[in-house]
Amino acid sequence: MTRITLGGAVLRGTVSTALMASLISAPALAAAPVDLSKWSPEYVRSIAGTQDFDTSADCAKVTPLDYKGRLTFWYQGVFEGDPDLLRQYYKDFFETFRKTYPNIQLEEQALTYNDLLDKFRTALLGNAAPMAVRLQILGGTEFASKGYLEPLKPEDVGYSTEDFWPGAMKAVTWDGVTYGIPTNNETMAFIWNADIFKRAGLDPDKAPATWEDVVKYSKQIHDKLGIAGYGLVARKNAGNTPYRFMPQLWAYGGGVFDEATANPTYQQIELDSPQSKAALQASYDMYVRDKSVPVSALTNQQADNQPLFVAGQLGMMISHPSDYNVMLDLQKKATGTDKDKAQTVIDNMRYGLIPTGPDGKRAVVFGGSNIHILKPEYVEGGKVDEPAAKAIICMWTSPEWSLKMAYAGSNPGNLNGFKTKWMKERLDKIKFLDVTTSMLPYGIPFPALPQSPEIMNIIIPDMLQNALTGAMTVDQAADDAAKKVKDLMGGL
Amino acid sequence: MTIVTGKAEARRRLQPGRSGALRKIWEHRADYGYVLPAIAVMLIVIAYPIYYTVELSFFKTPPGLQLRDKIFIGFDNYAAILTSEVFWKVTLNTLIWTIGSTFFSFVLGFAAALALHRDFVGRGVLRAILIIPWVISAVAASYIWKWIYHSDFGIIGAVLVGLGLADRPPNFIDNVSTVLPSLIVVNIWREFPFAMIMMMAGLQTVPDQLLRAAEVDGANAWQRFWHVTFPHLRNVSTVTILLLAVANFNSFIIPWIMTGGGPSNASHIWITHIYELAFGRQRWGVASAYSVLLFLMLMTLGYFYVRALAGNERKEGSA
Repeated sequence: MTRITLGGAVLRGTVSTALMASLISAPALAAAPVDLSKWSPEYVRSIAGTQDFDTSADCAKVTPLDYKGRLTFWYQGVFEGDPDLLRQYYKDFFETFRKTYPNIQLEEQALTYNDLLDKFRTALLGNAAPMAVRLQILGGTEFASKGYLEPLKPEDVGYSTEDFWPGAMKAVTWDGVTYGIPTNNETMAFIWNADIFKRAGLDPDKAPATWEDVVKYSKQIHDKLGIAGYGLVARKNAGNTPYRFMPQLWAYGGGVFDEATANPTYQQIELDSPQSKAALQASYDMYVRDKSVPVSALTNQQADNQPLFVAGQLGMMISHPSDYNVMLDLQKKATGTDKDKAQTVIDNMRYGLIPTGPDGKRAVVFGGSNIHILKPEYVEGGKVDEPAAKAIICMWTSPEWSLKMAYAGSNPGNLNGFKTKWMKERLDKIKFLDVTTSMLPYGIPFPALPQSPEIMNIIIPDMLQNALTGAMTVDQAADDAAKKVKDLMGGL
Repeated sequence: MTIVTGKAEARRRLQPGRSGALRKIWEHRADYGYVLPAIAVMLIVIAYPIYYTVELSFFKTPPGLQLRDKIFIGFDNYAAILTSEVFWKVTLNTLIWTIGSTFFSFVLGFAAALALHRDFVGRGVLRAILIIPWVISAVAASYIWKWIYHSDFGIIGAVLVGLGLADRPPNFIDNVSTVLPSLIVVNIWREFPFAMIMMMAGLQTVPDQLLRAAEVDGANAWQRFWHVTFPHLRNVSTVTILLLAVANFNSFIIPWIMTGGGPSNASHIWITHIYELAFGRQRWGVASAYSVLLFLMLMTLGYFYVRALAGNERKEGSA
């Protein structure tokens, strides 16, 4: 039997509400289509399937269905770590768009998370960007601040700003102007293998409560069973690294700046604070002192942890609810005794809340993606077909498609997506979805700064690698990273 | 005696005082006309990017600004590069990478060429097999080797542990000390067939008569190699080494795919570092200054390459 440690009382308690306030503003709370102050697995279940939406009718009000035009569109698409289910929804979306808008000539291009920013930046330099782009949450501010993006708010495609997570709207806002619309938002959860826990002498149905416990459990698993305990990821230029380290950093009370507070100002650099150093020390203890995590963590990303986990060689990791479907896909592809082994792992897969820091603070990255329209001067040919761009944006950010495109791995950017029948179906089909939605109130957005991609994709992984390889001590690595952030913010 | 036609005389009068070089160009104007389109294309796709890179190297390009808002800072980027710790670390890595890869690829390729120069059963098949690493896509090879080296479940580690030769899989690419040598091994594996082909071609030019004459004179195998074969291969060796060195200096795919320059910058070479500076961190100015320095170094290597080629041609011409 699967038992999930949700900490439901805590979720519905004051801590949850207080953290929620860091994501949302009072006016938004009042007007949101779902009551975010009541957020809990039960509440999400209670609103699922309560409202119907007609996507093509809604989008027809924005761009007539017989509109004739041409659209170039790049998007962060599925990659090797995504389940097959998600691939199918992406195919369905583009097929549906072409049927809905038969006269729009769509030229779409999918790029993986780690390639998109580099390619998009290069295209912008040559004024060869697409007319519309769907970027990771980290990228919007960078391009908005440089003046590449057209102002774009939910109202421009028939929705209301309150239809979206306030935290997500912050990530598309620069200097008071909104430059994009969130397509999906998610928080990850903690995953463990109950069978490994049991064999290592741990309670199989109890997730580690704190990060100290993670370090302890990881060592115990490694010492008793000779396999990796926790799936640490410290690869550079890979989104997986900050998504797994920042929750740890914030839980310890650290941060890059004050991004974990309710009203961040990003003025004070906190990477070299004792709290941040304690978080880094925990990673050091697992990698260097205890050798209880994969040695390949420095070159690995989450997609490399998945086969380790399904092979029963990894005890714990942080990831999306989609990892359960990924495990099912991997199990299907396994042969002989490997198939049975994988099934045992799947049967013993457990999801729980991400552990807290020493002071009881729980945090997770508030992730997701946004969709934007480019200014004509940066687009190939110098023209942007705005009605065509708005048509695809309206469709992707609709309650229906923002849910379907996030079916296995994320959550709808449009909060109305939680009310659809597909959400109801999803709650039944996607195991452990409750746990990841329960993490949403603990979500902290990356700093809404143009420098964030460099900080998260290069400076943070560099700090980890410097400490974990012994190139620097923990203190030196943290100080070095803080200096790099300072230089970066100073325009160097 | 030169017979001057009226037409030629008229043409000569039209261009009074023309210098020797210009006269030559004029005389070959039809030839220049044929190559003009190629020269125009080269100016657009080679000369302009070089000019723009040099220009950009004098500007600061903060990550919060568009490239068109760049700030002129003179030689500051060059000064910053030459005084930075990273520059010297990356330069040392690049030298180790280039020299190590070039030297061992050449030695291994030369040895393979000598072995395959002899006639034996299966020589053709072996030659074809040895060329495989060179024809495999570098991207595919990098991914394959990444898995072979994998620090947790790589094939090498599994074999060593299985045979009881190690307690746990060796750490090849997640360790600052072993990562660069491990990448060099992959590069050698990929490049030695090129050296082998070049040296095999060179070996076919060594006259059999000289080798037989040396044998008659009592020279042993080593003496025949050192005094007859090797001098004949000097020029092809020089060219092979220079081509390998230039390719290795410019090498990107293997280190970028396998480690991305990590861990802790231990496998960053110039090209990967420039890529990260430009596309990861948007320091176009600094990346351009690095590129200019790299360009100068490669031009120096290119100069020696051209000299070696010219030397070859002179010797062949006088032979």
